[in-house]
Amino acid sequence: MSSEERLEKFRPGRDGHEARKALRVPPPRGSVFDLFKEALPDVPMEAYQAVKDVVIEVSRGDVIRVLRTAKEDPRLDFRWLRCLSGVDYMDKGLEVVYHLHSYTRNHDVTVKVRCPQGDPRVPSATAVWRGADWYEREAAEMFGLVFEGHPNLVPLLLPEDMTDHHPLRKDNPLAEIEEWQGDRLAGRAEEGAGGEEEG
Amino acid sequence: MAVEHDLETMEIPVNMGPQHPSTHGVFRMVLKVDGERVVELVPHIGYLHRGAEKLCENMDYRQGIGIHDRTEYLAPFHAELALVIAVEKLMGLEVPERAEQIRIIMAELNRITSHMMFVGAFSADAGVFGTAFTYAFREREYIQDIFEEVTGDRTMYGYFRPGGLAWDVPDDFVERVRAVLEHTRQGIDDIDNLLTKNEVFMARTRGIGAMSAEEAIDWGLSGPMLRACGVRHDLRKAQPYCIYDRFDFDVPVGQYGDVYDRYLVRLEEMRQSVRIVEQALEGLRDGPIMPKKMRRRLRTPPGEIYQGVEAPRGEYGVYIVSDGTDKPYRMKIRSACFANLMGLRDMVVGHFVADAVVILGSIDMVLGEVDR
Amino acid sequence: MSGSAPAAPPREPQAPPEVPARREKTGIEREAERLTPVEFDRGKAPYRRVLPGVLLAPADTVVAMARKSSLWPLTFGLACCAIEMIATYMSHHDLDRFGIMPWPSPRQADVMIVAGTVTKKMAPSVKLLYEQMPNPKWVIAMGACAINGGPYTRYDRVLQGVDKIIPVDVYVPGCPPRPEALLDGFLALQRKIMAERSAVG
Repeated sequence: MSSEERLEKFRPGRDGHEARKALRVPPPRGSVFDLFKEALPDVPMEAYQAVKDVVIEVSRGDVIRVLRTAKEDPRLDFRWLRCLSGVDYMDKGLEVVYHLHSYTRNHDVTVKVRCPQGDPRVPSATAVWRGADWYEREAAEMFGLVFEGHPNLVPLLLPEDMTDHHPLRKDNPLAEIEEWQGDRLAGRAEEGAGGEEEG
Repeated sequence: MAVEHDLETMEIPVNMGPQHPSTHGVFRMVLKVDGERVVELVPHIGYLHRGAEKLCENMDYRQGIGIHDRTEYLAPFHAELALVIAVEKLMGLEVPERAEQIRIIMAELNRITSHMMFVGAFSADAGVFGTAFTYAFREREYIQDIFEEVTGDRTMYGYFRPGGLAWDVPDDFVERVRAVLEHTRQGIDDIDNLLTKNEVFMARTRGIGAMSAEEAIDWGLSGPMLRACGVRHDLRKAQPYCIYDRFDFDVPVGQYGDVYDRYLVRLEEMRQSVRIVEQALEGLRDGPIMPKKMRRRLRTPPGEIYQGVEAPRGEYGVYIVSDGTDKPYRMKIRSACFANLMGLRDMVVGHFVADAVVILGSIDMVLGEVDR
Repeated sequence: MSGSAPAAPPREPQAPPEVPARREKTGIEREAERLTPVEFDRGKAPYRRVLPGVLLAPADTVVAMARKSSLWPLTFGLACCAIEMIATYMSHHDLDRFGIMPWPSPRQADVMIVAGTVTKKMAPSVKLLYEQMPNPKWVIAMGACAINGGPYTRYDRVLQGVDKIIPVDVYVPGCPPRPEALLDGFLALQRKIMAERSAVG
């Protein structure tokens, strides 16, 4: 599908991820997904071809097994966890995205796990790579995700005593103009703020 | 050098606070020290967390170029390159040949300036305060003059655009760059003669902060930190972006993974960058710098992409989730120093406090990248 | 025991005084606490108290000339502006010829160049460093982020300008300001020191 046809099919606005789902292209034959299916025949996985990588979606219960197999299986050999990020899809849930790379085979894959908005718990990938440590701490404080099994899930980038709300969630707007921040502080402090947290 | 004593010792927490003379930015480490040896280290970051990712979600991609500049402020061209290539791949744009060549010239010159800054700051940490710092900044000034002639700004360029470049280079660009490369070669040799075989420098850096290849891969290190441990992985050779596959250059690899190896790897990378720039200057032909029909509003089709580039510090990557508008739905910045800094604790524990400073300097940290 | 006053009636055990329960501080209150500005007091130099009135004006001039010719800035580079600040110290645009020598410790520094974005996490450290500097002290806010938050002003973890917590003397705009601009800022500070010499201790 060419670029123009893709642009015609979407609806502008934040609902574009629905349009994305409709445009999903299955991965080509002989891609990394076939190797995953060979290595893990019993795990339910959905895959599609994004612009560069193959994206594999798994469920929360299987994700550690999938990541561990990806790291240790010699056909896959994904020894490098490049990036771990969270994405907020509002009422569709929160997603954790793992990007993996293999030095020897020189292929990449993206693994995604989605969890519902009300229950943002995901098993921690520190069981597989130590280098997932700070990425998960950051995703936890930015989105409110809880990584079960993480050794030290304390806020990393935000000040320790100002983790009232999660900045990268979509329902947190940016500050508007310069005086906004001062007014907000003055007004809220006057109100007494008896236990009322900034949402 | 163990000394037997019956004294009751105490492990003291030492705070190397957000402001310290090592000029690495606002980074705080709390060391637990037993005598002079470091027993435990807890790094605290986030003192420069400015919300680059959140701001980029509310900005057009081209406005986001300015934010990426300021995130990786010592190698802005590489940060821009990651963003711009990601957007081009999402949109399926073809970049003209001349634009690619100029991008590579700029990116490699930027690698030289960034490694010069490393040499300066690192030698200040190792004790050579002043001399190597001033040499390094002299070389940086020559190259920054070129950047200023081309882009208009000394440090925050904002020159690359999705599709090509913002404007063309001046007419005397090739002669100017060749003249500057003469200075640069001499400058690299100056620093080499000053530091590499220097006994004091070697005593301070040999055998310090060693990390094995398995540990480095597990922590997710990249760039010169990984190559110094012996892993021959360079994104320019493994997954060439731009037109790096047409250039002939070597990838220096270290042996022990200690601080001295990291310095040697970066020094040699500067020389290889000079080689690449010379080849790119030979191959520079006339032509357009932007594709023919570029729209005003850059609406990317719905999709997602992760694009990494080989920045001077490691892999700088951008993960864009696009929902079809001209603003990204989610822009995640994968910064090299964030991953490199995770390995700090394992590298420092067991060494002296003075070595902790040297090891921190060898990571070549840019706090803007770590905290975003 | 003789002739003592009649004993007072036994007092009932008093209820303990009312202590309001300690309320946990909310995020907003903690944020406001971090962001209260320092108390600003220039102090009075000893020579002003000791010298007779007729010698004060020449003394002021001499002291001001001495102070402005040897400003020692605290190396306080936070972000990208730090790179341009370091470039200004280096040989190409030399700052040492003005007597300006970067000094890492706040206890002996005269000027604090706030170069870079001040986040709310960093704000208490900035205030502490300012308070640790002895009088006379000045502050140069370098770069757009230190002036009013700069490109990051809309993020609510960023302090919108360092003058919300410490008093600033010279603002140097730019993102980042050129070394010549920072030099101009220093020269403006020198003019300010000379101009204010009799008003300030």
